[in-house]
Amino acid sequence: MSNKFIGKSVKRIEDKRFITGKGRYTDDIVLPGMTYAYILRSPYAHARIRSIDYSAAEAMQGVVTIMTGEEVGHYGVPCGWQVNFKNGDIMKEPPHPLLVKDKVRHVGDAVAMVVAETRELAQDAAEAIIIDYEVLPAVTDASKAVLPGAPLVHDDVPNNICFDWEIGNPKAEVDEAMASAHHITSLDFVNQRLSPNAMEPRSYIGQYDNVYDKYTLYTSTQNPHLIRLLMCAFVLGLPEHKVRVVGPDVGGGFGSKIYHYTEEALVTLASKKIGRPVKWTETRSEAFQTDAHGRDHVTHAEMGFDAQGNIVGLRIKTFANLGAYLSTFGTAVPTYLHGTLLQGLYTTPKIHLDMTCVFTHTTAVDAYRGAGRPEATFLLERLVDLAALEMGVDPAELRLKNFIPAFDGVTQPGYQTNVALQYDSGNYHSVLERGLEMLGYENFRKEQAEAAKTNKILGVGFSTYIEACGIAPSAVVGSLGARAGLYEVGQVRVQPTGKISVFTGAHSHGQGHETTFAQVVADRLGIPMEDVDIIHGDSDTVAFGMGTYGSRSLAVGGSAIVKSLDKIIEKGAKIAAHKLECSADDIEFKDGKFTVKGTDKSLSFGDIALTAYVPHVYPANLEPGLDFSSFYDPTNFTYPFGCHIAVVEIDKETGFTRVKRFIAVDDVGNVINPMIVDGQIHGGLAQGIGQALFEGVEFDENGQITNGSYMDYTMPRADDLPMFELDRQVTPCPHNPLGVKGAGEAGCIGSTPAVVNAVIDALWSAGHKVKDVRMPMTPERVWKAMQPA
Amino acid sequence: MELNGSYVLPASTQKIWEMLMNPDTLAKVTPGISRLELESENVYKAIAEVKIGPVSGKFEGKAEVLHPVVAESFTLNVHQNSKIGNVSAHIKMHLKAVSENETELSFAGKAHMSGLLARTGNRVMSGVANTLTKQFFQNFEDELAAKEQV
Amino acid sequence: MLCNTLKTNGFCAKALNFYLTYIMPKITLTVNGKTHTHEVEGRLLLVHYLRDTLGLTGTHVGCDTSSCGTCTIHLDGKAIKSCSLLAAQADGSSITTIEGLAPEGELHPLQEGFKEEHGLQCGFCTPGMIMCAADLLSRNPDPTEQEIREGLEGNICRCTGYHNIVRAIQYAAQKSAVAV
Repeated sequence: MSNKFIGKSVKRIEDKRFITGKGRYTDDIVLPGMTYAYILRSPYAHARIRSIDYSAAEAMQGVVTIMTGEEVGHYGVPCGWQVNFKNGDIMKEPPHPLLVKDKVRHVGDAVAMVVAETRELAQDAAEAIIIDYEVLPAVTDASKAVLPGAPLVHDDVPNNICFDWEIGNPKAEVDEAMASAHHITSLDFVNQRLSPNAMEPRSYIGQYDNVYDKYTLYTSTQNPHLIRLLMCAFVLGLPEHKVRVVGPDVGGGFGSKIYHYTEEALVTLASKKIGRPVKWTETRSEAFQTDAHGRDHVTHAEMGFDAQGNIVGLRIKTFANLGAYLSTFGTAVPTYLHGTLLQGLYTTPKIHLDMTCVFTHTTAVDAYRGAGRPEATFLLERLVDLAALEMGVDPAELRLKNFIPAFDGVTQPGYQTNVALQYDSGNYHSVLERGLEMLGYENFRKEQAEAAKTNKILGVGFSTYIEACGIAPSAVVGSLGARAGLYEVGQVRVQPTGKISVFTGAHSHGQGHETTFAQVVADRLGIPMEDVDIIHGDSDTVAFGMGTYGSRSLAVGGSAIVKSLDKIIEKGAKIAAHKLECSADDIEFKDGKFTVKGTDKSLSFGDIALTAYVPHVYPANLEPGLDFSSFYDPTNFTYPFGCHIAVVEIDKETGFTRVKRFIAVDDVGNVINPMIVDGQIHGGLAQGIGQALFEGVEFDENGQITNGSYMDYTMPRADDLPMFELDRQVTPCPHNPLGVKGAGEAGCIGSTPAVVNAVIDALWSAGHKVKDVRMPMTPERVWKAMQPA
Repeated sequence: MELNGSYVLPASTQKIWEMLMNPDTLAKVTPGISRLELESENVYKAIAEVKIGPVSGKFEGKAEVLHPVVAESFTLNVHQNSKIGNVSAHIKMHLKAVSENETELSFAGKAHMSGLLARTGNRVMSGVANTLTKQFFQNFEDELAAKEQV
Repeated sequence: MLCNTLKTNGFCAKALNFYLTYIMPKITLTVNGKTHTHEVEGRLLLVHYLRDTLGLTGTHVGCDTSSCGTCTIHLDGKAIKSCSLLAAQADGSSITTIEGLAPEGELHPLQEGFKEEHGLQCGFCTPGMIMCAADLLSRNPDPTEQEIREGLEGNICRCTGYHNIVRAIQYAAQKSAVAV
């Protein structure tokens, strides 16, 4: 062990290739003889296909093959998480075919794939395919899709209900608690649908090698091994050892690149069929229609308080929109990643969530940065802030009063919630108190009172969140219906010269693993960082892996690497003991040296590495080599928490809302690289603020996406955001070796309700006592909220 | 998308009716329509070139006149296909005599769009519809004036 | 060349369109100091010419509405979105892409700034951001935070929240000021 790198803002190793334009994303890869695929998609949300005529297209110049549902429609992509109805029945799981042959179920549903010599020729040919559609009525709103008479997405799924589900205390107990409440704050709201918008559009290359009978899939994914497992075992029935999946540089994911998409299997099939590589890269328009969306809840929620302002109960009814098909983790997000977080930071004694998950004629919905936890946080934090306004108490005070007291999870036990989870460690008062200090709360209220008399009113919004990440103990998720384990793999190969190759199943798509992991390895082994290479993203070189999502890479993947490092040091000590003629117990490893305790007799890490591979003087019964692989299965989730505070300024004339300040105090456990952690928070904040003010996928009554491009879907841009004010508290995670909790999603989870609360606070300060402004809070919506009813 | 409009044209209902039922005149006055061919009774093949906001395209399809009540009303059903998306519209047209030589022509209906047209054009669609409506009536008036001169 | 002549002569748009679709114009242009001559399909976008024909894959494609800025390059010294220009229209021009911003083995102050200030995460928007910022600094060597933010209006980053991109550009501005 040394302490040269951990905790330092080491500049990123991977940056060099990206800033010089040498990053290699899937679409940058060109293989010999490569062909290009174009996928013809449904322009309708719901229609029966009467006929497909591709004879003219097939005859066109440069066309290699055309595939339709007739040929591959029996293959379909699976759902990775089974959730059961309240009564125990298994969820409805209709097939999601690679290409549709009978009925299209959302705009962008894939109908045919043209493979041609160039991208343009493929598109030309696709435009010559004639499809006769019988257009049918569509439904896009989950709360309306369950009503009698609503058009059915799948004929054998009554009322479009995939399943209903509940969590928490028995409903009767919650009803009783609510009946006794002194004050109930209730709120109806929509947590709108978002498009993830990783800047790199999805891109895949399928390559079949008939000499070795081997398939290679290059894919912009967050988890290559998971894609291989799903595609081989559940979709195409290919032997896993004959399939290599490579995730090269990936240009952002935010959840949208976790899932196994139909196009991955399609290019794989097509490459076998034509004996040439097949590349498919989506356009942004396609991304809006086909990359799994996030959020989309319609909720009625009530929070009850006693006369002293203590929360006594929480009762929720939510309709979650799953889209037309089940995406890989679509069923887990509104349930186990959402319902289990409804305790929040509060001691709420009685909680009940009634959840209905619904099919609609829309793009599939799945995890998007935060995945379920932003929805839970939004619900709780909106209710608490609104309750404070309604009861005339201070929103910060109301929170502090209801927070769970601090516990470290070591000397004090974890906190058992009413919604299944047990929090690991927390000190919730600390983040809010620090946030208030940074804000200068008292001064702010004075400023606000002054501003209320002017045309630019001010508001402050709080959000104190907790999330569960570092997903997850395999046995726990297995018992809840996950169809995969959620451990991680970390292999450390010490080369004979003492250089280190680390193979991780985590997959960086912007998180900087090549730097953070190298910091950990270099410090643990007491060697320079440049002696460490982090290798990820190739199923042929990395033993196995579950990938990167749920803020899990360091907490789970990093822990697996640490386990292997421990094995290396232990074995190294045995080799050193033999050479130094002492017992292994007498060897101490420090600063890259194996030393006989209490002496100056030592051997360097490099000496031991070389000895392990040139074992001339070597312990009997010890294998040569220094190479260990470990699987780390966490014992609990990790629970980062924090306090986000937004200050907004609203122009009364126009309703235009500007985020003036944004303060974030996060506790993500120990921090390996503060620069990278701050960067993760920044990005999350931008996405959370984006949801509050700018973003939202809109459908018209026929299920058409009406803002499916960057001209219409408002992405946060540089001049929409302020400089962020960040600080952190550190409550180490008690159950993983690094004490880390995960920072990837925190920014996105806390920030959205802070902004909405700030707008509502500003409106109340100017006498407009509205409960909610629907997101995105466009100037028009905010302006309307200020007009007399 | 809702389509609504009305305008008083300086001609009798009978004259307006005749003009509306004449494919050549209709093609002339309807913005974007480059050709209108009678296919069978009350069914026309229509070819249009329209630029709507950021998207432009050539549309081919069918226009059908339903429930004609001479000099009073009819319903127009339009289905147009293009590479950039399809449009279907259902529009009810009414003619009402304001005076002997003045007719109020009004219409009300809905248009549904799909594909790229829906995704990227929707934002500006109602604005475009208003412009096209104004053009339609303007063209109609010009055509009437031209007929007067002849 | 013929293509440029057509344009300057104000040849009617339809004929130009036909020409660009069905005839393969021959273009000559300088990219990162090297001269290239190619016959290109009339409808080929400049960004695809750079990526597919020249293999300069540092210039990216992030959208299809010229809204995201990941394809930003310099054409005759000015930042442009290379998805909004046909390759044929770039005939005779001089182009710099991210690969040619600094001599091999060296970093431009902006490239250095992005690394030092953690102005990138996934790296996909980064080349476009840097090329856009280089143009901004050439016009305004000492921009305020607000001017930087406004200057980046045409470029989208989904990872960084722009905070560190702003700081990276401030870093480069300061460094260049010292160098002068």
